[in-house]
Amino acid sequence: MTYDWDASRKRIIGTFFGTNKIDRVPYFPLACEEMICRVTGKTYKEIIASPKNYANAAITTFEFLKADTISIPTAYAGPGEALAFAEANDKKESIKWFDYKVFMAKQGVVCKTEEDIDKLEIPDHRKISLWDTCVSALDIINKKLGMGGLCLGIWSVVQELRGVQAYRDMRRNPDLLLKLCEKVYQSQMDILNFYQEKVGGIGMIFFTGYSFNKHMMSFEDAMKFEGQFIKRIQKETKASIILHNCGTTPYFNEVCNEIDLLAVNGSHPLDIEYWVNFKEKFPNVTIIGANIDVSRELLNGTPQDVENKVKENIMHLASGGRYIVGPICCLPWGVSLKNIMAIPKAIKKWGTYPLNFN
Amino acid sequence: MNDNELLEKLRSTIIKGKSEDTIDLTKKALKAKIDPKRILNEVIIRGAENVGLKYEKGEYFLGDMLLAADAINDCMNVIKPKLKEGTHETPVKVLIGTPEGDLHDIGKSLVIALLQGQGFEVIDLGVDVSPERFLEVAKKENADIIGISGLLTVTISKMKETIALLKREGINAKIILGGGILSEESCKQAGADAWTKDGWEGVKLIKKLMEVS
Repeated sequence: MTYDWDASRKRIIGTFFGTNKIDRVPYFPLACEEMICRVTGKTYKEIIASPKNYANAAITTFEFLKADTISIPTAYAGPGEALAFAEANDKKESIKWFDYKVFMAKQGVVCKTEEDIDKLEIPDHRKISLWDTCVSALDIINKKLGMGGLCLGIWSVVQELRGVQAYRDMRRNPDLLLKLCEKVYQSQMDILNFYQEKVGGIGMIFFTGYSFNKHMMSFEDAMKFEGQFIKRIQKETKASIILHNCGTTPYFNEVCNEIDLLAVNGSHPLDIEYWVNFKEKFPNVTIIGANIDVSRELLNGTPQDVENKVKENIMHLASGGRYIVGPICCLPWGVSLKNIMAIPKAIKKWGTYPLNFN
Repeated sequence: MNDNELLEKLRSTIIKGKSEDTIDLTKKALKAKIDPKRILNEVIIRGAENVGLKYEKGEYFLGDMLLAADAINDCMNVIKPKLKEGTHETPVKVLIGTPEGDLHDIGKSLVIALLQGQGFEVIDLGVDVSPERFLEVAKKENADIIGISGLLTVTISKMKETIALLKREGINAKIILGGGILSEESCKQAGADAWTKDGWEGVKLIKKLMEVS
């Protein structure tokens, strides 16, 4: 039987816009490269060997997971951008490759010195083979399934390029840090332009807002070193923004007062009351996730624990729409498939509209 | 400026994370014949507690903590030779690394800076450290604490593997996991002795485990 992506698209759009005319709560898993390797049995290098390979592997994986969304995870503003900068600046040695998961950058190598930041070349993503593969794969998916979108980020990239030094710069040399943020912003705009040339207009951007975490910086600094750039991207593109933060103390309330967001995507705080209050305060902002955290029920619990957690979230947040189930963050190798598959089962059981918890 | 005023100024300089001023004032304090143990207790330890308190209250963030930790290290480096004179105390030895498959090191760097400033001996294994490498160095160095710091959920299984190997091989060091994405449950499941979600909490935990004041 063919997977019904048309129904998924309707569910997602219906949820974002708060219509009651959807059949059930949608499912938005953040399946990273290792999940794609796990489901397809292929190495990461085999998957990225061609856009077609990557697109097909992603489709197979997200259909297997019974998802309502799909992504090309490497087109993500963390390691993917670190690789682009490393290649453009002749620092390929900072990248380490793995067999069954995505490559990673050694943090702080690309922009080790102030001079590195001054001379940092902004990558032309069209010339970076990996990015060409990813954006072409997104184009295939868009044409096949009518789905697409892009993931951007500023602080996630800054941390990869500058490492822990970025936090010292924040106090000792904020102008230098802003210079780096500006270059990362320009690079993000290059990805956007590349996407628009190859795939078409962008309606939605998934933004990894790693700075928006109370453990890491003040909200003022998060706005200074990341938020202002989100506003600029939003102004340039008119795209709707989904803000992702997988930290334990996110600034979701604060950021929604400053930036017009379509959705927030996180797994903390764990107290469901926070999310109930958030929904009351920001009724037009969709919640993706809430308190479904992979390092808890999914990693250590049983399928019943997972079901209970999904039920709790749906029961408190899905009434009237604007709630999407999504475990945070990526689904790692250590999580059993039984637990992973308990999510779509629980959505079907408890998330079918009209909601009924008896 | 009398001794108390000098120490107060030095502590305030450390809390503000001013490295150069810290070095100057520490040298002045030693020149004024202030006991280095007094500098350790009244400036470094109390200063670090003050910084930690500010972090807990949300007045300080990662950047402030790092700069203060740098200043503490600067102060420590100046007084260390004097402290060692006439003592036979062995510092608590902490072995720390990021597990195989994870190259993130921001959290680890912060913990190292904080620990070194408190007089702990820290052996940094770096990032992407295999379980075998943890074992090899743990055996060689006879560490008191082994810290495994990781950012990614994808590395929890590798942490578990590392702990299993260390325990199987009879390593008695306390094993602590660190990382924002971890939880008490996942650390228990992995077999760790304790876990910490951030650097400051990690330092407090290690002190408690080793009964260091």
